[in-house]
Amino acid sequence: MEHIDLNNLFPTKTSNFGTNEVFDVAVVGAGVVGTAIFKEFCEQGAKTVLIERANDILEGASKGNSAILHTGYDAPPDTLEHECIQRGYTEYMKIKDEMNLPFLNTKALVVAWNDEQLEKLDAILKKGLGNGVKELETLSHKQVLKREPNLCLDAKGAVLVHGESLIDPWSAPLAYLKKGIACGGKTAFSHEVKAGHYDGKYWELETSQKPIKAKVVINAAGLYGDIVDAIKGTKDFKIIPRKGQFVIFDETAYNLINSIILPVPTKRTKGVVITKTAFGNILVGPTAEDQESRTDSQTLRETLEDLKTKAFYMLPALRNHRVTATFAGLRPASDETYDRVSINEDKNWITAGGIRSTGLTASLGLAKHIFELHNTKYEKNPKADEKITVPNISEFAPRDNQKEGYGKIICHCECVTEREIKNACHGESGAGNIGGLKRRTRAMMGRCQGFNCEAAITKICEDEIKNHG
Amino acid sequence: MDNIQIAIIGAGPAGISAALELKKLGYSDLIIFEREDEAGGTPRHCGHLGFGMFEFKRVLSGPNYAKKLSKLASQNGINIQLKSTLTKIEDGVLTFSTPNGIKQYKPTCTLLALGARETPRSDRLVSGTRSPDIITTGALQRFTYLQEIKPFDKAVVIGSEIVSFSALMSAKHAGIKIAAIIEEKSEIDSFCVIKYLVKYLLNIPVITNAKLKNINGEDKKVSSVTIFKDGKEEDIACDGVIFTGKFIPESSIMQKSFKDFNLNNYSLNVTQNFQTNSESFFVAGNALRGALAAFRCYFEGKKVAKNIHDYIRFKHQSQIIEISADENISWYYPSLLDLKSPIKKHLTTLRLKNRAKGVIKILLNGRVVSIKRVHALPFLSINIPWKDIELKVDDKIRLEFVKD
Repeated sequence: MEHIDLNNLFPTKTSNFGTNEVFDVAVVGAGVVGTAIFKEFCEQGAKTVLIERANDILEGASKGNSAILHTGYDAPPDTLEHECIQRGYTEYMKIKDEMNLPFLNTKALVVAWNDEQLEKLDAILKKGLGNGVKELETLSHKQVLKREPNLCLDAKGAVLVHGESLIDPWSAPLAYLKKGIACGGKTAFSHEVKAGHYDGKYWELETSQKPIKAKVVINAAGLYGDIVDAIKGTKDFKIIPRKGQFVIFDETAYNLINSIILPVPTKRTKGVVITKTAFGNILVGPTAEDQESRTDSQTLRETLEDLKTKAFYMLPALRNHRVTATFAGLRPASDETYDRVSINEDKNWITAGGIRSTGLTASLGLAKHIFELHNTKYEKNPKADEKITVPNISEFAPRDNQKEGYGKIICHCECVTEREIKNACHGESGAGNIGGLKRRTRAMMGRCQGFNCEAAITKICEDEIKNHG
Repeated sequence: MDNIQIAIIGAGPAGISAALELKKLGYSDLIIFEREDEAGGTPRHCGHLGFGMFEFKRVLSGPNYAKKLSKLASQNGINIQLKSTLTKIEDGVLTFSTPNGIKQYKPTCTLLALGARETPRSDRLVSGTRSPDIITTGALQRFTYLQEIKPFDKAVVIGSEIVSFSALMSAKHAGIKIAAIIEEKSEIDSFCVIKYLVKYLLNIPVITNAKLKNINGEDKKVSSVTIFKDGKEEDIACDGVIFTGKFIPESSIMQKSFKDFNLNNYSLNVTQNFQTNSESFFVAGNALRGALAAFRCYFEGKKVAKNIHDYIRFKHQSQIIEISADENISWYYPSLLDLKSPIKKHLTTLRLKNRAKGVIKILLNGRVVSIKRVHALPFLSINIPWKDIELKVDDKIRLEFVKD
């Protein structure tokens, strides 16, 4: 019987440019921030390469988050973080329809569960208004329960944030990648940047495959941000990976809440969120656990139990629903967030480091900001206005299984079709591993976790890769 | 939208046998909807022998049993719509995704024979790394029997329900070594004789009283598992983990679509006639309470067919009272009583979550009306006698287990 290594099902990607190619810009890291920067620079007309150590996008910090488009109501006022969140939000609203990206304005409730928290609501409201988020209101106990009848009766009151919304955390960066490629941008997956040399005019980056030459380096290396940044010669910050564990509940729980349920934050953490997801589940999390390891995203039973207990207190009816998935994400926290966005003009090096939980929202704004920092004129790419779309995998719009000719449904829990699986295997922006396939299609992410479909999907991918190289 | 008389969801043993029986009773306006691209259900990928003894008086392998069912269906002219996924039940209308587009049907009567699945790692909240090499028995069977793929070389099996031995056979078929079977309970979750067979014939250690502490590994690869036994931790090297058993019905669509959901059974409440509170809907087979042997599902399919026949003929007004159960009971049937239908002498069938000695009581409005002393094994069903209990509307019945 044929042995197939499920971790190496997809071939290692190589780059499609020569060693003598010289780029205007090399973006290191293909997370949500890196892909957004890649898109921005390609559209603006810079000759750009996206370099990534893994075989796919979103393999580090960007793969696990709560998938909320934030308004910035609670961002630190008048900071770059605040600016980028709001710019990113506006930008996302501009491109979402054109790129076929989902968006559901569920609104959020910052719920106070005791008198101490209730007293803080006023300050939250004021901070939000000060941050330019106008659509905010305070709700009484009665109003909260009218909006959210399944919440625990202990809910004392809340601030309603109208703009907070749900998006698909995986399709958005994929769309950014595809847009960059469509504008002529090059990619170098499975190229780990090991070292670099600046000769006063060009950077030559040494990678695990071939060397890459560029005028400017933009470091968006996320969890490895400090290591990559040291290549420029100075060590300015240290990444302290912060683990966030999550529990995802089955689609049967989806209608238990209407809004995103946010906690009143403490000094240490923003606390545990309960929200719907774009894929029709309920998400509970994250935790905030500082650690040394940049790769250890193991879950811990006790922590997951604790998340469940907290969620069951806030939303008692959740008890009656099953857990679909558990996972942990790592946020690239640093000693000072967003202050790590800087330019070293002598070295032609731009750093976008320490971008934590708000990166998903802020990425498009941050990309604009970095292009301004770069302060170089290019001739706008003629393809910048070309329409690039990604397939919808969210529950907010029709999916492939509602359109004829899809072959058959392979993943029954998430209703993923054979056609979707095959399409996700192909091309420069195609999946680089099983995780990438899951993020492009939702396959195997449902309640049975592959009981029904993992074997069949493995076979389809194997055949597709064989037949299409 | 098409009006049809009977829709059966699921072409496994329960669904096909119900269809065969209904056909015999004269129903021809009947469709079985199946989401896979072939009929037969779970036995399709149970590559080992042990099927068909009671229903066909022959010993068949799972795939041959599935083929036999499928053949019987086609010989009897039963319409099976393959690749049809039920996505919505609303106001009696069933919506399906099919490769030819969305299809809707409004049946007079629907049988939900949706089958069951094993509880995966996530719902057990197991600590450790994530990896595609952490799978269930069902997935292993599909890898080895349907796709001829060997996903890993050496695995640890978690759980010792009967299905875990099917995992051993699938592993043997693929040439996968089994490092150990890990069981949390003090005894294996199936007949003791199996333990000795595994230990001495297959030479696989069965470690009871052991808790799976962590799945170790980096970069989506499994390198070992850590177990906790007798106050000590121990690592067992492996590159795959197989979670077995803890079957639960494929019931999400029921929980989404109907209010009357039973959390012990993880399925809809049903009467002694397998009828739900939404009267035109019936449930049978593993969709009712997790895994039963295929032949039991087959015979239950025949039974429910007769009940559907009665329902369509008489449309009698049912008079329903509910039966609840405590948390020691892993599943029970029936969970509703229709007072307008006959009630049998041994009405209640149940299983307990754990191996235990004690008594099972039936309480009528808080008063004990029936009692049975049991030495329960979690994989064996217990029948509880009802004697002559007078029931009226508004009565409340509860099942309780009291440990010695």
